[in-house]
Amino acid sequence: MTRALPLALRRSLVFFWLLLLLLLALVLGVAMGAVSLPPGEVFQALLGLTENPIVTEMRLPRVLGGMLVGAALGVAGASFQGLFRNPLADPYLMGSAAGAAFAVTLLASLLGGLAPAFAQHAIFQSLPLPATLFGFLGALSATFLTLVLAGGAARTGELVLAGVVVGSVLTGATTYLMMQDADRVRAVFAYTLGNLAFMGWPSVKAMVLFFLLALPPLLLLGRVLNALQLGEEVARSMGLPLEGLKLLLLLAASLLVAAAVAQAGIIGFVGLITPHLLRRLLDEDYRLLLPASALGGAVLLTLADLLARTLTRPAELPVGVVTTLLGGPFFLYLMWRRRGRA
Amino acid sequence: MRRVISVLSVLLALAFAFPLTLTDDLGRTVTVKAPPKRIVTMLPSVTETVCALGACDRIVATDDYSDWPERVKALPKAGGLYNPNPEFIVSLKPDLVLVSKYGRLYETLERAGLTVYAVRTETYEDIFRTTRTLGKLLGLEAQAERLVAQIQREVYQEESRAAKATTRPRVYYEIDPTPYTVGPESFIGVLIQKARGVNVIPKELGLFPKIAPEFVVEKNPEVIVATYPGALETIRARPGWSRVKAVQTGRICVFTGGQDSLLSRPGPRVAQGLRLLVDCFHGR
Repeated sequence: MTRALPLALRRSLVFFWLLLLLLLALVLGVAMGAVSLPPGEVFQALLGLTENPIVTEMRLPRVLGGMLVGAALGVAGASFQGLFRNPLADPYLMGSAAGAAFAVTLLASLLGGLAPAFAQHAIFQSLPLPATLFGFLGALSATFLTLVLAGGAARTGELVLAGVVVGSVLTGATTYLMMQDADRVRAVFAYTLGNLAFMGWPSVKAMVLFFLLALPPLLLLGRVLNALQLGEEVARSMGLPLEGLKLLLLLAASLLVAAAVAQAGIIGFVGLITPHLLRRLLDEDYRLLLPASALGGAVLLTLADLLARTLTRPAELPVGVVTTLLGGPFFLYLMWRRRGRA
Repeated sequence: MRRVISVLSVLLALAFAFPLTLTDDLGRTVTVKAPPKRIVTMLPSVTETVCALGACDRIVATDDYSDWPERVKALPKAGGLYNPNPEFIVSLKPDLVLVSKYGRLYETLERAGLTVYAVRTETYEDIFRTTRTLGKLLGLEAQAERLVAQIQREVYQEESRAAKATTRPRVYYEIDPTPYTVGPESFIGVLIQKARGVNVIPKELGLFPKIAPEFVVEKNPEVIVATYPGALETIRARPGWSRVKAVQTGRICVFTGGQDSLLSRPGPRVAQGLRLLVDCFHGR
């Protein structure tokens, strides 16, 4: 249906819908939860007329924090896919998220011996900023390792294979570190399936800070990603200092991955699906695809978390289970439809 | 003369009791030819019960987590539920291996020709059922009845102490900061009830639900119990939890470093776990 519309109109429509969905996700996310609150009460609490910490200290930061984590994963996924010219390159499949998780856990277990509280803190509270930077190094190292093992980014099969292996090895190492403490099996689940339960204002502030650092270069480099899609030779012939710009892209995307993992653990599929879905609507223009993926990732994760905390309320599901159960079949449906058309 | 008769009657009883065939907690039929002398226990609560029956010296190895009584710490360790070491167990040539009903360790050991009995120790009632079963298996039935009576007496003492309290505080019990909690029908849930606390978690959520934090804040518990290191700082720092009564009044009881085992193991020391809760809910 949308295909019949002129490109510019279609693109404006996509952004209009994304913003509308984001608003809807925000409203639903704050209005609904384990505790039933009348809409009037929620509204009054938001305006500061009445005091209700469930709305102002728990739901609102959780929804906003979830949006920022989702946006980080979405935009990082789009950057990776553009940077490596590989439709399957996302933080999850490239081993980048697993690298960040491993580094954070390693730091927590190294320091945890001195102060057990830190280990808990690292996994279930807003992580101190230096630890996020440690995660950033982990994400970056894992990505480089994947690239080296795959012999570059060009060969799709090798890249995904190497990424999956690096990710599995690092997740195994993370699990091993966590299991050193007996009875931490549940903690492993919380970390490898994502947890937004304790997103508070400190988490939101941390995410905003990392967004301010990473998003401007990514959005400015959309043009470079566009050029890269034509091949490195073409991009170089346009006079772009390609190696430096590619490194900058990788650094910015890895920083977002690390920030997301540090706050919420590993959440799969958001970074893979969001850019894919939007690429079908926007075509291969990264100047639009990057901001759209940020919005799309935010919508996707907020709605997934809403389901995670209301489907079995007042119990919660791990948010990663919801993104995988919804995202997996949806992705397969997209593949199937594409095959049907080809 | 009386001693001789009693010894004889015990021997006679044993002679008739063995070979003994029982159905274990997986529904398997297990035959024990003679009272076991070389036992491997793969569950901390079972280790505790075997020792409380006075048969600690028959244990040749335990799982990694068995740490009571003190003497079992020195015994060889044969892994845990998720990483058992069947080869090592077989090499010890035990005549009885007591395993958890979870995991598939029994299959491997059975194939190696060992006698394996799978035990479920999850509920409060399981404590007494398991004690009697182990009494039968080890040929210590009279000791088992005495142990059951003793545990029940100790529990009753704590229950009557709790009954004197005039209030029944609302309790939230956290076993892991994800956060995972306990339902009223779990073992710990029953202990909370016996200690005259009211669990804020509804029973529909099952035994160990992952709970929504805002639900806990809404229920506003008067006492929080947590059984992991650093729980106090973790709980205090959570968004929105500063409004919870237990956090405001500082009534957060953290049990770690061995105390948590008293509460998590349905075994012979259950009354000590109950005492921790009664003290926490109502003061000493």
